[in-house]
Amino acid sequence: MNKSLILAAALTAATALTSPAFAQTVLRVDEVAVGELDPAKASDYADSILMFNVYDTLVLPRQGGPGYDPHLAGSWEADGANYTFTLRDDVTFQSGNPLRAADVVYSLERMQEIGQGLSHLFTGVTAEAVDEHTVRFTLDEPYAPFVASLVRLPIVDQVLVAENATEDDPWAEGYLSGNAAGSGAYTVTSHNPQDVTVMALNEGYFLPINDAAPDQVRLRYSLEAATVRTLLSQGEHDIASQWLPPEVIRALAADGAQLFTESGTGAFYVKMNTQRAPLDDVNCRLALSHAFDYGTALQMVAINEEVSSGSAPTGAIPVGMYGSNPAEMALERDMDAARAYLEACPYDPADFNLEISWIAEVPLEERFALLMQANFAELGISSSIETLPWALFTERVASPENTPHISQIFVNAVTGDPDTLLFGMYHSSTPGTWQSPEYLADDQVDAALEAGRRGPGEEDREAAYAALNERLMELAPTIYGYDRQSVFAASDRVNAPALSDPAMAFGVDGMGFSFRLMEMTE
Amino acid sequence: MTRALRIIAANPLSLTGLILVLAIVLAALFAPWIAPFPTHNSAVVDFAYANSAPNGRNWMGTDLVGRDIFSRILYAYRISLGLGIVVLIIATPIGTIVGLLAGYLGGWTESVLMRLVDVFLSIPPLVLAIAVLGVLEPTLTNAMIAVTVMWWPWYARLVYSIARSEREEGYVLAAEVIGAPTTHIAFREILPNCLPAIITKMTLDMGFVIIIASSLSFLGLGVQPPTPDLGSMVAEGARYLPDSWWMTVFPGLAILFAVFGFNLLGDGLRDVLGADE
Repeated sequence: MNKSLILAAALTAATALTSPAFAQTVLRVDEVAVGELDPAKASDYADSILMFNVYDTLVLPRQGGPGYDPHLAGSWEADGANYTFTLRDDVTFQSGNPLRAADVVYSLERMQEIGQGLSHLFTGVTAEAVDEHTVRFTLDEPYAPFVASLVRLPIVDQVLVAENATEDDPWAEGYLSGNAAGSGAYTVTSHNPQDVTVMALNEGYFLPINDAAPDQVRLRYSLEAATVRTLLSQGEHDIASQWLPPEVIRALAADGAQLFTESGTGAFYVKMNTQRAPLDDVNCRLALSHAFDYGTALQMVAINEEVSSGSAPTGAIPVGMYGSNPAEMALERDMDAARAYLEACPYDPADFNLEISWIAEVPLEERFALLMQANFAELGISSSIETLPWALFTERVASPENTPHISQIFVNAVTGDPDTLLFGMYHSSTPGTWQSPEYLADDQVDAALEAGRRGPGEEDREAAYAALNERLMELAPTIYGYDRQSVFAASDRVNAPALSDPAMAFGVDGMGFSFRLMEMTE
Repeated sequence: MTRALRIIAANPLSLTGLILVLAIVLAALFAPWIAPFPTHNSAVVDFAYANSAPNGRNWMGTDLVGRDIFSRILYAYRISLGLGIVVLIIATPIGTIVGLLAGYLGGWTESVLMRLVDVFLSIPPLVLAIAVLGVLEPTLTNAMIAVTVMWWPWYARLVYSIARSEREEGYVLAAEVIGAPTTHIAFREILPNCLPAIITKMTLDMGFVIIIASSLSFLGLGVQPPTPDLGSMVAEGARYLPDSWWMTVFPGLAILFAVFGFNLLGDGLRDVLGADE
């Protein structure tokens, strides 16, 4: 099956060549399965890579600074809760169909109806096509980061999707889970969500693409760390996923690999299930969050003197975002406080037996699991460590009874705005996703989150998120492990300015993997 | 006894097996005294020494949280040997009784029991153990249950085949003629003739049980962290190959020595017990 897929991909790629004299450049990268190709369901990093390359959005984050630039949209105007976008008239989908305002409306409705992935960003948003190239969004209530959220609204080709819809599958989910219907810089040659996605450069892309951009990209899923390590050293892989353990990245860097970084303004969160005893009690949770060894955690994720995947946490919100505490207020381990909180905890520590889970694809988390087990053992709390593959984890968190006591998650602001980091994790209306295994339900948290997204001014948002941060520190649903950036080991066959030059960085997770901006050097 | 030792000592392979097994058993028994870091068998982390290659302080290096691999291997032997002994102590009598009854009584008892055995033997052993652990929680006790469930049918098979041929022997017929009860014939007459084969198989199996238990924990289904286990140590270290080779190589060698030792010793015992006949 695999071989035939690869063969088919190679054949397609070969026939697509106009001049056989040119060698195809191939970029090889990896991520964790499952690679969700349906843009309405995209949520994690692998999905984002697919989405940002196969589909386009109305706006893009400005490289190297705050704000958003037009992309599929030529321009836009905001008027209270109404946003009017004028689309470019020179865009065609990979199918050859032209981009119309109706496609934007359809993409939004499709996402809302399917209700998965990041559809929660678009609750209460309606769209209408004013004319062929003008689309107007109307928001039920003011949502300050609306333009930011449009980087997560991939535009699908309505004509093509509708052709493939059936009575049982009105949104053509079956079709879009294996085929592309976008306008993006890369077309999908083949797609197996557990194994590999092969993409090829879209010659008809509406923007000019650097000649050095890879002609073909092979995105492989769930490779073992040792495999990636060996492939990279042998020159048979190009960019390793960020989930390699620090030791392996360190060894690769020592062998001459370059290190790419991407800050998606996110953090490493150790999430506690607030619906299961003993963690349904705030004092028990505070005891754990004070017993966590923050200093050792930071040592563990340092790659070398210059590059680290983490910096000291100061609270629930990463430093630099609205409402965050200053960098000097770093959280520290405090065993006396931990013991005092444990005294106030109504459960007997001897009966705790906490389930500490870690995601099987992220070996680093196993070490955090052991660190926590040792940290908590000092308080007399026993715990067991459980390995969960990502797919199983996302299934388990759907109900509070099956959600482990402790889950370890890396979360980023999916649009770069704090609303998209925090709302999905802590608002009581979004429990039971991989982002929210806390099952937190607190009125003050809800109110602050709502005020934060309402805005409208920067000061309002700053105040709302500062209040939220304080409340989240009191409630301690989460151990705020460290503020995080992603580090990728890469071969010297590829340059990726968006991942190496701060002036070119997008500040949105996964967008640095816009392959059209990369350059192959051989 | 001395004759047995002489036979084993005469064969260098058997002698190697005996020495290996003795060394492993002693290492496991005296782990708390031999291990340079006896606390490293539990939830201890020591990041100052994490991921260090073999050196004077840590002869086999340390793992990613700084625990001494040599100490953990000694403790892992305790778990592996303990598991092997428990499994065989439970599986052998069950299999022996089933095999004896089926072999001696024959008829419908034989049909029912041996078809049941066939059902168990038809499922690949590791798959059966994974299924059992899938239903139960993955713990040490349940790993023992899972391995026992897959192990007893082999003893039933072995004892059945011996008992079947023995029941036609003159001494069994003689016992039947003088009216000895069935249990007497099965357990006092036939069983002693099965014992050499059973003991040989138990010794050989010790190695295989250790491999299966390690496979289970390699898959994350057996002994759970922080308890040291050879299989899970290999699994954990495999991610850091080839740089941190010591995390995989030493636990892997530890499994190799155990299996090798018990196999060679088992072969030697077969010579000893076979010579008795």
